[in-house]
Amino acid sequence: MPLLTDEVRAYIGREGEPFLACDAIEPGAVRRYAQAIMDPDPAYASAEAGARYGGAVAPPLYPSFMFRTPFGAPDVLTERAHDPDFDGIVMGVGNGLPELPLHGLALLNGGAEVEFFAYARHGERVLQKSRYADIQEKETRSGPMLLVIIETEFTTEAGQLLLRARKTIIRR
Amino acid sequence: MRERLDFEDVSIGDMVAPLGKGPLTTPHLMRWSAAMENWHKIHYDQPFATGHDKLPGLLINGSLKQQFIAQLLKEWAGREGWAWKVRFQFRAMNLAGERLSIWAKVTGKQETPDYGLVELDVGITNENGVESTPGSAVVALPYRGRPAVPYPFVPPTSG
Repeated sequence: MPLLTDEVRAYIGREGEPFLACDAIEPGAVRRYAQAIMDPDPAYASAEAGARYGGAVAPPLYPSFMFRTPFGAPDVLTERAHDPDFDGIVMGVGNGLPELPLHGLALLNGGAEVEFFAYARHGERVLQKSRYADIQEKETRSGPMLLVIIETEFTTEAGQLLLRARKTIIRR
Repeated sequence: MRERLDFEDVSIGDMVAPLGKGPLTTPHLMRWSAAMENWHKIHYDQPFATGHDKLPGLLINGSLKQQFIAQLLKEWAGREGWAWKVRFQFRAMNLAGERLSIWAKVTGKQETPDYGLVELDVGITNENGVESTPGSAVVALPYRGRPAVPYPFVPPTSG
Protein backbone atom coordinates (compact mmCIF):
# COMPACT_ATOMS: atom_id res chain seq x y z
CA MET A 1 0.00 0.00 0.00
CA PRO A 2 1.48 3.37 -0.95
CA LEU A 3 2.31 5.85 1.81
CA LEU A 4 1.44 8.76 -0.48
CA THR A 5 -2.34 8.42 -0.40
CA ASP A 6 -4.71 10.99 -1.88
CA GLU A 7 -5.41 12.07 1.70
CA VAL A 8 -1.71 12.86 2.23
CA ARG A 9 -1.26 14.33 -1.26
CA ALA A 10 -3.98 16.89 -0.48
CA TYR A 11 -1.57 18.55 1.98
CA ILE A 12 0.89 19.63 -0.75
CA GLY A 13 0.77 23.41 -1.10
CA ARG A 14 -1.09 23.98 2.15
CA GLU A 15 0.26 26.95 4.11
CA GLY A 16 -0.09 28.05 7.67
CA GLU A 17 -0.92 31.59 8.76
CA PRO A 18 2.08 33.69 9.83
CA PHE A 19 2.35 33.57 13.61
CA LEU A 20 4.59 34.88 16.38
CA ALA A 21 6.87 32.79 18.56
CA CYS A 22 5.50 32.81 22.11
CA ASP A 23 8.55 34.62 23.53
CA ALA A 24 10.81 37.40 22.30
CA ILE A 25 14.54 36.68 21.90
CA GLU A 26 15.54 36.20 25.55
CA PRO A 27 19.17 36.56 26.68
CA GLY A 28 18.88 33.54 29.02
CA ALA A 29 17.43 31.32 26.32
CA VAL A 30 20.14 32.50 23.89
CA ARG A 31 22.82 31.69 26.48
CA ARG A 32 21.51 28.15 27.06
CA TYR A 33 21.25 27.60 23.30
CA ALA A 34 24.74 28.97 22.59
CA GLN A 35 26.20 26.81 25.38
CA ALA A 36 24.37 23.74 24.04
CA ILE A 37 25.79 24.23 20.53
CA MET A 38 29.17 25.18 22.07
CA ASP A 39 29.54 28.37 20.03
CA PRO A 40 31.24 31.00 22.21
CA ASP A 41 30.64 34.00 19.88
CA PRO A 42 30.54 37.07 22.20
CA ALA A 43 27.94 38.68 19.89
CA TYR A 44 25.41 36.34 21.54
CA ALA A 45 25.79 38.20 24.86
CA SER A 46 27.33 41.61 24.23
CA ALA A 47 25.86 44.55 22.30
CA GLU A 48 29.40 45.79 21.69
CA ALA A 49 30.53 42.50 20.14
CA GLY A 50 27.31 42.42 18.09
CA ALA A 51 27.63 46.05 16.95
CA ARG A 52 27.68 45.05 13.27
CA TYR A 53 24.26 43.45 13.75
CA GLY A 54 22.81 46.34 15.76
CA GLY A 55 23.29 44.73 19.18
CA ALA A 56 23.50 41.34 20.89
CA VAL A 57 21.97 38.67 18.66
CA ALA A 58 20.85 35.04 18.69
CA PRO A 59 22.77 32.33 16.77
CA PRO A 60 21.99 32.17 13.03
CA LEU A 61 19.51 29.27 13.18
CA TYR A 62 17.91 30.33 16.47
CA PRO A 63 14.74 31.84 14.93
CA SER A 64 13.83 28.44 13.50
CA PHE A 65 14.06 26.86 16.98
CA MET A 66 12.11 29.42 19.04
CA PHE A 67 8.57 28.28 18.25
CA ARG A 68 7.98 26.58 21.59
CA THR A 69 4.86 25.40 23.39
CA PRO A 70 3.04 28.52 24.60
CA PHE A 71 2.07 28.88 28.25
CA GLY A 72 -1.34 27.32 28.89
CA ALA A 73 -1.22 24.97 25.87
CA PRO A 74 -2.25 21.32 26.43
CA ASP A 75 0.61 19.16 27.73
CA VAL A 76 1.20 16.60 24.99
CA LEU A 77 3.75 14.71 27.09
CA THR A 78 1.10 13.98 29.72
CA GLU A 79 -1.71 13.37 27.24
CA ARG A 80 0.31 10.73 25.38
CA ALA A 81 2.19 9.32 28.36
CA HIS A 82 0.63 5.85 27.83
CA ASP A 83 0.93 5.80 24.01
CA PRO A 84 3.71 3.32 23.11
CA ASP A 85 4.07 4.94 19.66
CA PHE A 86 4.57 8.45 21.05
CA ASP A 87 8.04 9.49 19.90
CA GLY A 88 8.33 12.50 22.21
CA ILE A 89 7.96 15.06 19.43
CA VAL A 90 5.52 17.82 20.27
CA MET A 91 4.04 18.70 16.88
CA GLY A 92 1.70 21.59 16.29
CA VAL A 93 3.84 24.20 18.01
CA GLY A 94 6.55 23.62 15.41
CA ASN A 95 5.41 25.30 12.24
CA GLY A 96 1.68 26.06 12.33
CA LEU A 97 0.95 23.40 9.70
CA PRO A 98 -1.63 20.68 10.25
CA GLU A 99 -0.06 17.34 11.19
CA LEU A 100 0.06 14.82 8.34
CA PRO A 101 -2.17 11.76 8.83
CA LEU A 102 0.79 9.38 9.25
CA HIS A 103 0.22 8.08 12.77
CA GLY A 104 2.92 5.71 13.98
CA LEU A 105 5.44 6.45 11.21
CA ALA A 106 8.92 7.27 12.49
CA LEU A 107 10.26 10.72 11.76
CA LEU A 108 13.85 11.53 10.77
CA ASN A 109 15.48 14.76 9.74
CA GLY A 110 16.50 14.29 6.09
CA GLY A 111 18.35 17.52 5.47
CA ALA A 112 17.78 21.17 4.88
CA GLU A 113 18.55 24.19 2.75
CA VAL A 114 18.81 27.47 4.60
CA GLU A 115 19.37 31.04 3.44
CA PHE A 116 20.45 33.63 6.03
CA PHE A 117 19.69 37.34 5.73
CA ALA A 118 20.03 38.75 9.26
CA TYR A 119 20.34 37.68 12.90
CA ALA A 120 17.53 38.26 15.41
CA ARG A 121 18.47 40.76 18.12
CA HIS A 122 17.78 40.30 21.82
CA GLY A 123 14.28 41.56 22.61
CA GLU A 124 12.91 41.13 19.09
CA ARG A 125 9.86 39.04 18.32
CA VAL A 126 9.90 36.61 15.40
CA LEU A 127 7.17 35.40 13.04
CA GLN A 128 7.16 32.33 10.86
CA LYS A 129 5.12 31.25 7.89
CA SER A 130 5.35 27.69 6.62
CA ARG A 131 3.96 25.60 3.82
CA TYR A 132 4.12 22.00 2.64
CA ALA A 133 6.23 22.65 -0.47
CA ASP A 134 6.17 19.00 -1.58
CA ILE A 135 5.55 15.42 -0.43
CA GLN A 136 7.19 12.60 -2.40
CA GLU A 137 7.30 8.84 -1.98
CA LYS A 138 10.62 7.07 -2.40
CA GLU A 139 11.39 3.36 -2.52
CA THR A 140 14.45 2.28 -0.53
CA ARG A 141 16.09 -1.02 0.37
CA SER A 142 14.35 -0.87 3.75
CA GLY A 143 10.94 -0.16 2.22
CA PRO A 144 8.96 2.90 1.14
CA MET A 145 9.45 6.30 2.75
CA LEU A 146 7.91 9.73 2.41
CA LEU A 147 9.99 12.86 1.88
CA VAL A 148 8.08 15.84 3.27
CA ILE A 149 9.48 19.23 2.21
CA ILE A 150 8.48 22.19 4.36
CA GLU A 151 9.47 25.75 3.43
CA THR A 152 9.45 28.35 6.18
CA GLU A 153 10.25 32.05 6.28
CA PHE A 154 11.21 33.72 9.55
CA THR A 155 10.88 37.49 9.88
CA THR A 156 10.98 40.04 12.68
CA GLU A 157 7.84 41.88 13.71
CA ALA A 158 9.27 44.88 11.85
CA GLY A 159 9.30 42.79 8.66
CA GLN A 160 13.03 42.04 8.31
CA LEU A 161 13.53 38.62 6.70
CA LEU A 162 15.90 36.61 8.92
CA LEU A 163 16.10 33.25 7.24
CA ARG A 164 14.36 30.95 4.81
CA ALA A 165 14.51 27.21 5.39
CA ARG A 166 13.52 24.24 3.25
CA LYS A 167 13.53 21.15 5.44
CA THR A 168 13.21 17.58 4.27
CA ILE A 169 11.53 15.31 6.81
CA ILE A 170 11.68 11.55 6.28
CA ARG A 171 8.66 9.54 7.44
CA ARG A 172 8.89 5.76 7.27
CA MET B 1 35.98 34.98 15.62
CA ARG B 2 37.95 36.69 12.84
CA GLU B 3 37.00 40.19 11.75
CA ARG B 4 37.56 39.95 8.04
CA LEU B 5 38.58 37.60 5.23
CA ASP B 6 39.07 39.19 1.81
CA PHE B 7 37.69 37.45 -1.28
CA GLU B 8 41.12 37.80 -2.94
CA ASP B 9 42.72 35.70 -0.17
CA VAL B 10 40.62 32.63 -0.97
CA SER B 11 41.51 30.09 -3.66
CA ILE B 12 39.60 27.19 -5.13
CA GLY B 13 40.75 24.03 -3.37
CA ASP B 14 41.41 25.74 -0.02
CA MET B 15 40.42 23.70 3.01
CA VAL B 16 38.77 25.60 5.84
CA ALA B 17 40.32 24.81 9.25
CA PRO B 18 37.95 22.12 10.59
CA LEU B 19 35.76 22.65 13.66
CA GLY B 20 35.95 19.83 16.20
CA LYS B 21 33.02 18.89 18.42
CA GLY B 22 32.83 16.12 20.97
CA PRO B 23 32.90 13.44 22.02
CA LEU B 24 29.18 14.21 22.11
CA THR B 25 27.87 12.38 25.14
CA THR B 26 24.26 11.81 26.13
CA PRO B 27 24.42 14.85 28.46
CA HIS B 28 25.39 16.97 25.44
CA LEU B 29 22.35 15.66 23.57
CA MET B 30 20.12 16.18 26.62
CA ARG B 31 21.41 19.76 27.00
CA TRP B 32 20.59 20.49 23.35
CA SER B 33 17.14 18.86 23.62
CA ALA B 34 16.43 21.00 26.69
CA ALA B 35 17.77 24.21 25.10
CA MET B 36 15.41 23.83 22.14
CA GLU B 37 12.61 22.13 24.15
CA ASN B 38 12.32 19.16 21.81
CA TRP B 39 11.75 15.81 23.51
CA HIS B 40 12.28 13.41 20.60
CA LYS B 41 13.03 10.14 22.41
CA ILE B 42 15.61 8.83 19.92
CA HIS B 43 18.18 11.16 21.51
CA TYR B 44 17.85 9.98 25.14
CA ASP B 45 15.48 6.96 25.45
CA GLN B 46 17.60 3.94 24.53
CA PRO B 47 14.76 1.31 24.68
CA PHE B 48 12.57 3.51 22.45
CA ALA B 49 15.39 4.26 20.00
CA THR B 50 16.48 0.64 19.57
CA GLY B 51 13.18 -1.16 20.29
CA HIS B 52 10.47 0.99 18.73
CA ASP B 53 12.42 2.86 16.05
CA LYS B 54 14.95 0.01 15.40
CA LEU B 55 17.93 2.38 15.49
CA PRO B 56 21.43 1.17 16.39
CA GLY B 57 21.59 3.49 19.41
CA LEU B 58 20.91 7.02 20.57
CA LEU B 59 21.37 9.49 17.71
CA ILE B 60 23.17 12.82 17.72
CA ASN B 61 20.47 15.31 16.71
CA GLY B 62 20.56 16.39 13.07
CA SER B 63 19.46 19.77 14.39
CA LEU B 64 22.66 19.98 16.45
CA LYS B 65 24.90 18.98 13.54
CA GLN B 66 23.31 21.73 11.46
CA GLN B 67 24.30 24.32 14.11
CA PHE B 68 27.92 23.18 13.82
CA ILE B 69 27.97 23.73 10.05
CA ALA B 70 26.44 27.19 10.50
CA GLN B 71 29.11 28.02 13.12
CA LEU B 72 32.00 26.89 10.90
CA LEU B 73 30.77 29.02 7.98
CA LYS B 74 30.02 32.05 10.19
CA GLU B 75 33.48 31.94 11.77
CA TRP B 76 35.19 31.48 8.41
CA ALA B 77 33.26 34.38 6.82
CA GLY B 78 34.27 36.69 9.69
CA ARG B 79 32.29 39.66 10.99
CA GLU B 80 32.55 41.51 7.66
CA GLY B 81 31.52 38.56 5.52
CA TRP B 82 28.23 36.67 5.50
CA ALA B 83 27.38 32.96 5.40
CA TRP B 84 24.45 33.18 2.99
CA LYS B 85 23.32 29.71 1.99
CA VAL B 86 23.87 26.20 3.21
CA ARG B 87 22.30 22.92 2.19
CA PHE B 88 23.02 19.46 3.48
CA GLN B 89 21.56 16.00 3.83
CA PHE B 90 21.47 13.87 6.93
CA ARG B 91 22.84 10.86 5.09
CA ALA B 92 24.30 8.80 7.91
CA MET B 93 23.55 8.58 11.59
CA ASN B 94 25.99 9.68 14.26
CA LEU B 95 25.67 7.90 17.58
CA ALA B 96 26.08 9.33 21.06
CA GLY B 97 29.75 9.22 22.05
CA GLU B 98 31.12 10.08 18.61
CA ARG B 99 33.62 12.87 17.97
CA LEU B 100 32.73 15.03 14.97
CA SER B 101 34.86 17.08 12.61
CA ILE B 102 33.07 19.76 10.62
CA TRP B 103 34.86 20.59 7.38
CA ALA B 104 34.53 22.81 4.33
CA LYS B 105 36.43 23.12 1.05
CA VAL B 106 36.34 25.97 -1.45
CA THR B 107 34.96 24.77 -4.80
CA GLY B 108 34.17 27.97 -6.67
CA LYS B 109 34.38 31.77 -6.75
CA GLN B 110 32.04 34.23 -8.36
CA GLU B 111 32.16 38.03 -8.47
CA THR B 112 29.17 40.31 -7.98
CA PRO B 113 29.27 44.13 -7.93
CA ASP B 114 29.30 44.55 -4.12
CA TYR B 115 31.00 41.40 -2.83
CA GLY B 116 32.45 38.08 -3.89
CA LEU B 117 30.66 34.77 -3.54
CA VAL B 118 32.56 31.66 -2.49
CA GLU B 119 31.09 28.21 -3.06
CA LEU B 120 32.08 25.45 -0.69
CA ASP B 121 31.46 21.77 -0.10
CA VAL B 122 30.75 21.09 3.56
CA GLY B 123 30.29 18.03 5.70
CA ILE B 124 30.74 16.26 9.01
CA THR B 125 32.95 13.23 9.53
CA ASN B 126 33.34 11.11 12.66
CA GLU B 127 36.56 9.62 14.01
CA ASN B 128 36.23 6.71 11.56
CA GLY B 129 36.14 9.13 8.64
CA VAL B 130 32.49 8.38 7.84
CA GLU B 131 30.72 11.32 6.20
CA SER B 132 27.26 11.91 7.68
CA THR B 133 26.12 15.36 6.57
CA PRO B 134 27.36 16.20 3.06
CA GLY B 135 26.30 19.51 1.60
CA SER B 136 27.29 22.77 0.02
CA ALA B 137 27.35 26.43 0.96
CA VAL B 138 27.73 29.94 -0.43
CA VAL B 139 29.57 32.61 1.58
CA ALA B 140 29.81 36.30 0.68
CA LEU B 141 33.20 37.97 1.30
CA PRO B 142 34.27 41.61 0.94
CA TYR B 143 36.70 42.70 -1.77
CA ARG B 144 40.11 43.90 -0.56
CA GLY B 145 40.02 47.57 0.39
CA ARG B 146 36.24 47.69 0.02
CA PRO B 147 33.52 47.88 2.69
CA ALA B 148 32.10 44.89 4.54
CA VAL B 149 29.38 42.78 2.94
CA PRO B 150 26.13 44.75 3.48
CA TYR B 151 24.14 43.84 6.58
CA PRO B 152 21.31 42.80 6.54
CA PHE B 153 22.47 40.66 3.64
CA VAL B 154 20.96 41.40 0.24
CA PRO B 155 21.42 38.55 -2.27
CA PRO B 156 22.73 39.45 -5.73
CA THR B 157 19.93 39.92 -8.24
CA SER B 158 21.21 37.09 -10.43
CA GLY B 159 21.69 34.75 -7.49
